[in-house]
Amino acid sequence: MNFFGFGQSADIDIILDGQESRKTAEIKTEDGKKERHYLYFDGETVSGKVNVTLKKSGTKLEHQGIKIEFIGQIELYYDRGNHHEFTSLVKELARPGELTQSTCYNFEFLQVEKPYESYTGANVRLRYFLRVTIVKRLTDVVKEQDIVVHTLSHYPEMNSSIKMEVGIEDCLHIEFEYNKSKYHLKDVIVGKIYFLLVRIKIKHMEIQIIKRESTGSGPNTFNENETIAKYEIMDGAPVRGESIPIRLFLSGYELTPTMRDINKKFSVRYYLNLVLVDEEERRYFKQQEITIFRKADKSRKNMQAQYQNRALQHLQPSNPPPEIPKEKEELTNSTED
Amino acid sequence: MPSTPQLSPQEEQERLLEEALSVVKNHAFQMKRCLDKGKLMDGLKHASTMLGELRTSMLSPRNYYELYMGISDELRHLELYLVDEFQKGRKVADLYELVQYAGNIVPRLYLLITVGVVYIKSNELSKKDILKDLVEMCRGVQHPLRGLFLRNYLLQCTKNVLPDTEEEAGSEGDEAGTVTDSIDFILLNFSEMNKLWVRMQHQGHSRNKEKREQERRELRILVGTNLVRLSQLECVDVAKFQKLVLPSILEQAVSCKDPIAQEYLMECIIQVFPDEFHLQSLSSFLRACAELHASVNVNNIIIALIDRLAQYAQNEEGAGIPTDIQLFDIFSQQITQVIQNRPDMAPEDIVSLQSALINLALKCYADKVDYVDRVLETTEDIFNRLNLDHLEHGSPVSKELMRLMKVPVDNYSNMLVVLELQHFGPLFEYFDFQSRKLMSCYIVNNALDNETNIPTQEQVDGLLNILTVLIQDQNDQPEEPEDPEDFAEEQGIMGRFIHLLSSEDLNQQYMILNTARKHFGNGGDRRIKFTLPPIVFAAYRLAFKYKEQKEDDENWEKKCQKIFQFCHQTIGALIKAEFSDIPLRLFLQGALAAGEIAFDNHESVAYEFMSQAFSLYEDEISDSKAQLIAITLIIGTLEQMSCFSEENHEPLRTKCALAASKLLKKPDQCRGVASCSHLFWSGKSTGYEGEMQDGKRVSDCLKKGLKIANQCMDNSVQVQLFVEQLNHYIYYYEKGSDNITIPVINQLICKIKETLPNLEANEETEQINKHFQNTVEHLQLRKDGGDAEGPSYEELVL
Repeated sequence: MNFFGFGQSADIDIILDGQESRKTAEIKTEDGKKERHYLYFDGETVSGKVNVTLKKSGTKLEHQGIKIEFIGQIELYYDRGNHHEFTSLVKELARPGELTQSTCYNFEFLQVEKPYESYTGANVRLRYFLRVTIVKRLTDVVKEQDIVVHTLSHYPEMNSSIKMEVGIEDCLHIEFEYNKSKYHLKDVIVGKIYFLLVRIKIKHMEIQIIKRESTGSGPNTFNENETIAKYEIMDGAPVRGESIPIRLFLSGYELTPTMRDINKKFSVRYYLNLVLVDEEERRYFKQQEITIFRKADKSRKNMQAQYQNRALQHLQPSNPPPEIPKEKEELTNSTED
Repeated sequence: MPSTPQLSPQEEQERLLEEALSVVKNHAFQMKRCLDKGKLMDGLKHASTMLGELRTSMLSPRNYYELYMGISDELRHLELYLVDEFQKGRKVADLYELVQYAGNIVPRLYLLITVGVVYIKSNELSKKDILKDLVEMCRGVQHPLRGLFLRNYLLQCTKNVLPDTEEEAGSEGDEAGTVTDSIDFILLNFSEMNKLWVRMQHQGHSRNKEKREQERRELRILVGTNLVRLSQLECVDVAKFQKLVLPSILEQAVSCKDPIAQEYLMECIIQVFPDEFHLQSLSSFLRACAELHASVNVNNIIIALIDRLAQYAQNEEGAGIPTDIQLFDIFSQQITQVIQNRPDMAPEDIVSLQSALINLALKCYADKVDYVDRVLETTEDIFNRLNLDHLEHGSPVSKELMRLMKVPVDNYSNMLVVLELQHFGPLFEYFDFQSRKLMSCYIVNNALDNETNIPTQEQVDGLLNILTVLIQDQNDQPEEPEDPEDFAEEQGIMGRFIHLLSSEDLNQQYMILNTARKHFGNGGDRRIKFTLPPIVFAAYRLAFKYKEQKEDDENWEKKCQKIFQFCHQTIGALIKAEFSDIPLRLFLQGALAAGEIAFDNHESVAYEFMSQAFSLYEDEISDSKAQLIAITLIIGTLEQMSCFSEENHEPLRTKCALAASKLLKKPDQCRGVASCSHLFWSGKSTGYEGEMQDGKRVSDCLKKGLKIANQCMDNSVQVQLFVEQLNHYIYYYEKGSDNITIPVINQLICKIKETLPNLEANEETEQINKHFQNTVEHLQLRKDGGDAEGPSYEELVL
């Protein structure tokens, strides 16, 4: 920019319409810090004004034009140079000319499509931002402002439970059941584990939520697993016939909606991992994918009622969810975590 | 102590506990500080860390308990704080959910329970839903020790908040819940705790079995508290107990198949719930007993129940056993079932069950002898089936059977009632000799203590059949003879017992004696010595009674004669057994009796008895001392009798005199002859009016006595005899015999005075001297008194 302190320079501020009443949402930055930005949803118009304030009065600012862009892009950390923009809209705010005084420009991106949710992961980031550029001959004056996008889903029409019998022959047979296969971010997983055969000395059992972020494609796919939650659901060794309840509240954990093959660049999937540990520290586990989605917030009042019910939720054996064919599978046995 | 780094297991435990407690203390302190500052979430975090200590597997149950107690104290602070906050209106809406975020299950559930109870107390959420939720969620802890304590915490915390109201029609879905919800809650908690408790048994190495069982016993109260809690619910009435509570408990107890648990739970049920409940649900309880594990001591359980109900039946304030409950039948049936289900049951256990049943019958149905008899019959059947007999004395079965048989004896304290028990006697067959004897003695003593008269011949026969071991030799009696003292004691009580065989009805009494005679007559020489004399005496007594009631029975004289015949025979049996002094005495007694009763023909009977006595004296008694005693007895008897005609009396008294003078030793002769003198003075025969008072013969006797005394070599004996003779003389002088004069007396006194000083001074001389002094004093008194009526003593020289 103007290294030598001569020539005109300008500050750019982007003021969004209805900013005072707009909700904000938190999102992690690449370095793990958390930032708050204004929250938008898919199809929502992004409008506002851009204030260009000249730093020195009485001096002109020559420019080749002023524009504002709305950009949605995916950044893969291993490929810093290439950002994949899946959305890029431009509005021209001013034709090339001169600015003699601070000026305000209105802008509006009407009903912008925002197909994906903002996301910051281990190897990938998906972000939306507005960029105002005053094009100059030497260095442009640029101002970016991030927004956060949440994708809302309706309550899925099909949300069958997950029910499966797994085991190791003549050693351990269990049947587990999670009440749904799709959970919203503040949902509660209710389920039970039924022990059909126990010949090993189990020490404890836990449920883990594993987040798997996959980037790249084909042979270059790179998976990053992160255990988001470890939740002990059983202490000690059960005997045949025991039924252990599961009730896991998701709101305590940092989750994002499940993202599948976002713009052919990355995916974020969640798995429930049921882990049994025996007295010799051998681990037996079974992973089941669950879908996590974002549901529109309800009013506070409803929330209250909901809390009360969900805090006591159980899977009633007498009232089973619609029967779905049980799968029979091997339980994975491993000694490492 | 050398400072070895190796700690003993005990010390290691102490160290672990100490460490855990200090962590608890620290975090409890911080928790309270946070709560004081209103930082609830931080407080909960500290609570959770503190609770983390309960995740340990290192502590023994005892120390885990210590830790648990420490922590639950601290949790009470949290609870109080929260209740307080809620009351002030500072509610934390989703607290119940928040505490569920804790990653570890043990702290999470403790917190959940604590918060849950706070919600209940402040009427947040539905009470019954919370209770249900808590008890369900606790399933997550499957480790026995930790699970037991967790659930115990649940039970403690909910102690005062369990709904205890009747279910009302129409108010379904009542949020507060009803007693049914409480029952479900406790029952579920109970069965889960029991399963955990049972599971402890199967953990760890089998060599630690005993230790583990010990530990389990220490923990049993945790399980039992569930039942206590159920019994404390006021709305649990008989119907609910029968329909909801008991079946579940029993189902759990039976299905857990664990002896320790079963034994404890059954006892617990008995102790915890009221008698009225038990009465209404006996069958199901007992049916469950029949299904218990083979090594469970069902006896103790059933006996405990019977004892309780028996006590209840006897409690005067109680309502008693409802008439529609056939307590005995139910127990009887179920016990049979129990025995059937357990083919390996030890016979002593079977018997002790039957004892309990008898106890029940006696305490609850005192008037129904047939109940007791039924038990005895069953017992007999069982022995038959098990092919048991000759139960060895001291073996458990024998002991138990003896206990069983003593129950009716003690309880009725009346052998007549015991005799009504048809199956009492037959059970004796199953004992060995020693036990039969002990048992028989027990019965006899009981009869003696209670002075139970046995008033009919049939009863006597029955009883004596039972007691046969004391009456006759047995096939199985030991070869070596018994200790003579014991034997004498045993037969002694039989002698006493005979006197109890008595009826008011004389004919009946006669038959009784006959029966007794038959039984005891087979007793053998060693026994009849003890047992026949009482029979003879009883017979004499009977004869007297016939005489008393002669007005009522015209045949009394014949009957008396028959009695004396019976006695004669009986005494004959004793003679045959080569006894002499007893038969002799019995004959003399008989003669006296016959003389007194004065029935038709009594004189010849008396004469016969006297003559029998004489012939015994002559033929059988050879010892001189015994002879003196015998002849003295004969003389005494004859002197007493007045039934003889002169024709019979004369030979008898002459015989006596002859016999006395023919005694071997001089002093004996002297004394015998002196005794004989009385026959001529106070002897009575039908030939005289009153006493004979034949002064001449008396004087002859005394003179003869003196003469014999003079022949004595031993001075001391001689003086003694003189003093005795002097007394005789004085006696007759005072009686007014003309043939006795003062000069004779003076002469005798003189002689004694001469000889007496020459005697060696010793104890004997002392005695003789004293005797003489007393005699002289007596005479002096007479002389000084100048008694007008008596004969004169003026000429007496002292």
